[in-house]
Amino acid sequence: MFADALLAGLDLFLTPQSMLLTVLGVVFGLVIGALPGLGPLMGIVLMLPFAVSLPPVAAMGFLIAIAVGGSCGGSVSAILLRIPGTPLAAATLFDGYPMAQKGRAADAIGIAISASALGGLFGGVVLILTAPLLASFASNFAPPEYTMLALTGLIAIAVVSEGSLLKGLITGAIGLLIATIGTDEFSTGYRFTFGIFDMLNGFHIVAIVVGIFAISEMASQVMGGGLNEKPDVKAVRPGFRTVWMTLKHWKNLLRSSTIGAAFGALPGVGGTISSFSAYAVAKALSKPEEGYGAGAEGGVVATESANNATVGGALVPTLALGIPGEAATAVLIGAMLILGFFPGPALFANQPDIAGGVFLVYLFSNVALLFVGILATPVFVWVLKLKKSYLIPVVLLLCAVGTFALQSSVFDLRVMLGFGLLGILLRGAGYPLAPLVIGVILGPLLENNLRRSLLISREGYWIFLDRPVSATLVVINLLLIGGATFVTMRSLRRRRQAPLVARTNDAGR
Amino acid sequence: MNITPRQVEWLVIALLVGLVALVFQQAATDMAAQGIAPGGPYDNAAAYPKTVAVVLGLLIAAQAAVQLFGAAPPQDEDGGVPLRKLVRPAALIFIFGLYLGTLPLLGYHVATPLMLGALMVLCGLRRPLAIALPALLVSFGAAYVFEAWLKIVLPGGLFHLNMVW
Repeated sequence: MFADALLAGLDLFLTPQSMLLTVLGVVFGLVIGALPGLGPLMGIVLMLPFAVSLPPVAAMGFLIAIAVGGSCGGSVSAILLRIPGTPLAAATLFDGYPMAQKGRAADAIGIAISASALGGLFGGVVLILTAPLLASFASNFAPPEYTMLALTGLIAIAVVSEGSLLKGLITGAIGLLIATIGTDEFSTGYRFTFGIFDMLNGFHIVAIVVGIFAISEMASQVMGGGLNEKPDVKAVRPGFRTVWMTLKHWKNLLRSSTIGAAFGALPGVGGTISSFSAYAVAKALSKPEEGYGAGAEGGVVATESANNATVGGALVPTLALGIPGEAATAVLIGAMLILGFFPGPALFANQPDIAGGVFLVYLFSNVALLFVGILATPVFVWVLKLKKSYLIPVVLLLCAVGTFALQSSVFDLRVMLGFGLLGILLRGAGYPLAPLVIGVILGPLLENNLRRSLLISREGYWIFLDRPVSATLVVINLLLIGGATFVTMRSLRRRRQAPLVARTNDAGR
Repeated sequence: MNITPRQVEWLVIALLVGLVALVFQQAATDMAAQGIAPGGPYDNAAAYPKTVAVVLGLLIAAQAAVQLFGAAPPQDEDGGVPLRKLVRPAALIFIFGLYLGTLPLLGYHVATPLMLGALMVLCGLRRPLAIALPALLVSFGAAYVFEAWLKIVLPGGLFHLNMVW
């Protein structure tokens, strides 16, 4: 089963275009990951308009390689500047920065890159072994299972998103409503189009994603200040001996990669949680003389291998079920849909060459990361000196031209700006943005399968409890909401009591 | 004058209440007129958005209750963000919006260097050469990638300014 998919994808993968774009994707990912405030999601969002004009496997190779490079790139600024380029690398600075302070910056970066590549390859093996099995299991799913699965994906992401559960669910529901704009697939009636011709097909997913993430991020960066700061970083040149230094921690590497891949497959968990968890486990199992927190190589190995293995794990539900695990994979699903193939069991049954091609580009992107990352580190270090005052205008230009290029449509530009404003407002009020995009992606899947379920059901909504898998998912959804509500209520009660305790203490002094 | 996160939260709540109202208004008017509001799961295209709107309404009510009776967000205790701190992001959005609005009229090759230059000035760059040179280079570089490589015709504007690469 696994070998069949890989062999089928070999023809699509072994083209100069696919391989070159995968390497370019890794380079771009490393650059954008190294720049504080940006990250793999922003990289994928900015390059999405370019990618959708490419052949499917080359396009997916380019975008997945950006995710792979971006997940590792954040470690460069974490190690050299004590500023993680992305939240994924936040745990890397615990030991990476002390290593740099001890004059071992090149070793720290080399180990980070090697651990990322090896962790990513482990995630790739997990992806290749589990995705076809999961797809085969899901091939028996009917509309009720898909309805509940889409709900599980959305609820899990809303629950785990930063901010409150309520706010995550609200942005998820907004996403579901946005997905209903346009022509209804069943009745062919028009919904929320207001007589505007451009709205008959709804809003383009790229315009939404670019607006909500990139435009609002740039506004946030401008507000943050430090636009003309130029950090003083010295050139570093890691060598391939850091691969052996990483392999000396093979137990840690395997354990952390397993944590990363397993967490990645769970909706909403993502690389940040997996890297912190892997670091915590590695530290708990370490000997005192290893000096975790004071420049231990094992600390860098744990966090970096975990966050890159997460990418492979996150691709499992994305490819096998069509359910995104987090915002970046939601955007990847959006790209797949634009490219004309539908992730899920049908992909493995009908287009095994595409599935196999995606597996191979993912593996190759990690191999490329090892070589390109170590050889081109001086370039990524130089990138850290770029001023935001140049970066912000360039990013906004890429947003505008990239979105326009999709359909040569000025309407898409207006949509992008509108979602940018919405993103700024929601960010300002502490609402997470990822559930909105996931709601937009999962909306059609949820609505179509819900209506199909009701069409085939003789007992209305009871159909969701009549089928074992669907009923299990209903229970999981209720547990997720119940558990998150309990945690939210408890933290609200604590927050309300905190000022009271403070006032009582002040009065006692 | 400061703006607090709680005030922004209320602004979002007001916007969302409007969104829920809009769903019901559209279902009762436009969708009903098209004949896609009543019927079973196949014909009734209004039932699903109305269900989502009901769920959204309940979530909004719960969020409003949290805002009314819960503790204030930590930033509120610091007095929030001064309005003058919002001038720069507002100007960024204004310049970008103006660029998008004038792009079909002025064309890519006129509007883009102007937008890039204006944003660089907004970000604090002052040396004319440090603004003009990157603005022109980035603008032409992006045009080359899109027009020559990706074969996308960028807006020529009223003057029909398009490069022949």
